[in-house]
Amino acid sequence: MPFRKNNTIDRSNPNYSGLRIILIFILSSGMMYLDFQGNYTDRLRSYLSVAVLPIQVAANAPKKIINNLKNKLSDRESILTENQLLKKENIQLYSKVQQTYKLEAENKRLFELLKAKPEDGKNFIFADIISVNQDNDKHQIIINKGSMDGIELGAAIADSKGIIGHIFRDQVLASEVLLISDPEHGIPIEIARNGLRAIAIGIGSYDEIILNNLPNNSDIKINDVLITSGLGGRYPEGYPVAIISNIEKVKGDSYLSIGAKPIANLKNINEVLIIQDIKKDYPNE
Amino acid sequence: MSSQLSKLSFIWFILILSSLLSIIPLPEYLSFLRVPWIPLSLIFFTIMTPSMIGLFSACLIGLILDVLQGGILGESSLALSLITYITYRFRLQIRVFPIWQMMLSVFILLIINEMMHLWIEGMIGKIVISQSKLLSILLGSLIWPFFMGLMQNLQSRIKTR
Repeated sequence: MPFRKNNTIDRSNPNYSGLRIILIFILSSGMMYLDFQGNYTDRLRSYLSVAVLPIQVAANAPKKIINNLKNKLSDRESILTENQLLKKENIQLYSKVQQTYKLEAENKRLFELLKAKPEDGKNFIFADIISVNQDNDKHQIIINKGSMDGIELGAAIADSKGIIGHIFRDQVLASEVLLISDPEHGIPIEIARNGLRAIAIGIGSYDEIILNNLPNNSDIKINDVLITSGLGGRYPEGYPVAIISNIEKVKGDSYLSIGAKPIANLKNINEVLIIQDIKKDYPNE
Repeated sequence: MSSQLSKLSFIWFILILSSLLSIIPLPEYLSFLRVPWIPLSLIFFTIMTPSMIGLFSACLIGLILDVLQGGILGESSLALSLITYITYRFRLQIRVFPIWQMMLSVFILLIINEMMHLWIEGMIGKIVISQSKLLSILLGSLIWPFFMGLMQNLQSRIKTR
């Protein structure tokens, strides 16, 4: 490379001055502090994330194109068999729904007997995945519905089988979901069989979440289904979360070490359901 | 002036492309292939065309990277502007180094970048050292000669056009 004038030794280039690095140090430390302390930088982040949305979409485009190609190239026969399977499943699901009408009516009648407040209705919104965080210790995904579509912070996310996580940052056109397997995530659950309550904590593995603080004499068995308990107010009550996969008694420890396998397929999420409360006013309360 | 503009747009095109590459979905066993492209391209541009890029550009691309990766805001901008600064201070030496010393200095710069990340993440209380990250840094410094050759080729094409 020729030796040009703008490549000469010039320690006073203002683009690289020591003053500027100090300024950037102060600026970014302040930003990190604000971001860590609370949600002071949410607005900046949401503007930036609108700007970088095309990059996220582009990065996930190859995967989507391959999936589309797979769909297009798969032969007619396999599509037909899949269609038949889905039809069968649909019929089964409909027959289950028929029973729920009766249960719903019964439930309502019982609530009226108890003079209790009926449960709020739920609003379901479908969303697609835009991108999946590639860091192994950050289990986050980004979905294509944001505050423009009426998504609120803290809404629960599920797939067709069970709970996936909740929205922890809402942006304008997209929102970020923290998965239940993230090391920073805990979800209040209860065992469907006997209502024993606990908190399931992610450990950064897609196949396992753990239950801490259950004493050695707890009534818990392998293959128990864990459902959301509705405590804490973030997750709606009664959605399946995980199945107990191993229980271990640690010698000298008064608590069991329990592992559970999430029911939702966290590794390969395609479409998700956002579960939101429909806000109703109760004039008497 | 228009050649300046085309050079500048080339730099930003490469930076955006590398940020895209750094979030592209890969299966877990291939995650060491996620080479730190943004530090690599920043080092390259700081060595070769320091007048076209600066600390604030590094800071901005760091912010974009933070938003893309869902990290704490300001983490990457701090790390990237630091390595840009160090690269600028030593760019004349690095430019005339033989290739293996160049690779070594790139490796050290990438390690500094990663150390900054670990330091910041350690302060906020979630420190995870993964082998695949170290492997990707090693891979990044190993492919540096090829990367540099490719970029120089592209840049010379931009200039002659």
